[in-house]
Amino acid sequence: MSNVIELRIKRQDGPGQPSSWETFKIPYRPKLNVISVLMEIQQNPVNAAGKRTTPVVWECNCLEEVCGACTMNINGQARQACTALIDQLKQPIVLEPLRKFPLVRDLMVDRTVMFDNLKKVRAWIPIDGTYDLGAGPRMAEAKRQWAYELSKCMTCGCCTESCPQFNARSKFMGPAAISQVRLFNAHPTGEMNKHERLEVLLEEGGIADCGNAQNCVRACPKGIPLTTSLADLNREANKFAVDRWLRK
Amino acid sequence: MSSKYHFVVRRVHSLLGLLPIGIFLAFHLTLNILATNSPERYEKVINTMRETPGIFLVELVIIFLPILFHAAYGLIVVYGGGVNTLRYQYFRNWYYLLQRITGIITLIFVAFHVFTLRVDGATAQATVTALTDFVKTPFGLVFYVVGVLSAIFHFANGLWAFLITWGITIGPRSQKVSTWVCSGVFVILAAVALKTLAQLLA
Repeated sequence: MSNVIELRIKRQDGPGQPSSWETFKIPYRPKLNVISVLMEIQQNPVNAAGKRTTPVVWECNCLEEVCGACTMNINGQARQACTALIDQLKQPIVLEPLRKFPLVRDLMVDRTVMFDNLKKVRAWIPIDGTYDLGAGPRMAEAKRQWAYELSKCMTCGCCTESCPQFNARSKFMGPAAISQVRLFNAHPTGEMNKHERLEVLLEEGGIADCGNAQNCVRACPKGIPLTTSLADLNREANKFAVDRWLRK
Repeated sequence: MSSKYHFVVRRVHSLLGLLPIGIFLAFHLTLNILATNSPERYEKVINTMRETPGIFLVELVIIFLPILFHAAYGLIVVYGGGVNTLRYQYFRNWYYLLQRITGIITLIFVAFHVFTLRVDGATAQATVTALTDFVKTPFGLVFYVVGVLSAIFHFANGLWAFLITWGITIGPRSQKVSTWVCSGVFVILAAVALKTLAQLLA
């Protein structure tokens, strides 16, 4: 291990601006992560050529891989900067913003579309009424434990970043939102609005636009069985579509 | 494609890949090996098919139109996809890309194949002679080997995706098993096709 950490960072001042690569060299210390190295650059924004530059812009929040805010491309693949440990990364460490979302600046992107898709599939459980609706049906403990795995999704965008079907030419909403349909349809109260979520999955950009490249399940930092969710919802969507048609 | 029919169009596209196109491909390849093994029996089968009343309509509805739809919609699917195999070098991601590449190769191959060999009135023997002459040229041989293998790969890998699309193989284990089964389908059909080509050259 050398005594410097070398980083190549893709810089861009804003949407529509030209992008360029900038190299930074940071004195090595053990047990750093990508965030702490970016903080070093923030304190002393001098690039490898010794020239003063603007501090690199990025987002972070929880620093324990549960919020997804610091997701970026690190050495070519999307992951969270907070759990990307310098000691485990090949150098020079290449940092790029996520490519599937509108760029804000440097490593910061606007992931609003992920949240719009969650709204589209109604990834929530409606419990509001004009009176107290009382307690909902109980959920079996075994099922709750299973569903907990699906609920670990932090909408970070690693799956959509790795998905070749999620791009500007396609309306595909990506694996994250679709997997949430499985989560909320599995909930005893959420199940009551199952049809509303499945209806959305039948539309353009829904389940039928999955191309089975299966990168999502490997890219997911939370180990969510995304391809199983997709295949399971294929079955559910088919049954739902046939049933709806036959009842017309 | 309007949102209302999107799902059903995608599902029809998937279904047609197996029924009837995939089944037709398997039937076609089996018939070919029959042709090289026993030309008389092949001639008989071809003549029986030709004499079947309404064969043109059957071919149109069962073969031509499904292939046309599958190909045309397939191009839309290809357009909506992306390539990131260099960043995400997983075997399934390569297969995703290969499925699209082989689809396009198959489309070109089938168009050429039908255009050059499906000459009305020509006897079965004349068709075989025309094909033999073509595959005896270096370009012709490469074109046929690549074209036929692309078609078979596209079918076998499409079958794997079909099982997911129709909600049959859901978990990673069943999908792994179906990868092996579909690989077997590829190997068997490829062996049949290559043996037929080899016999044409002999």
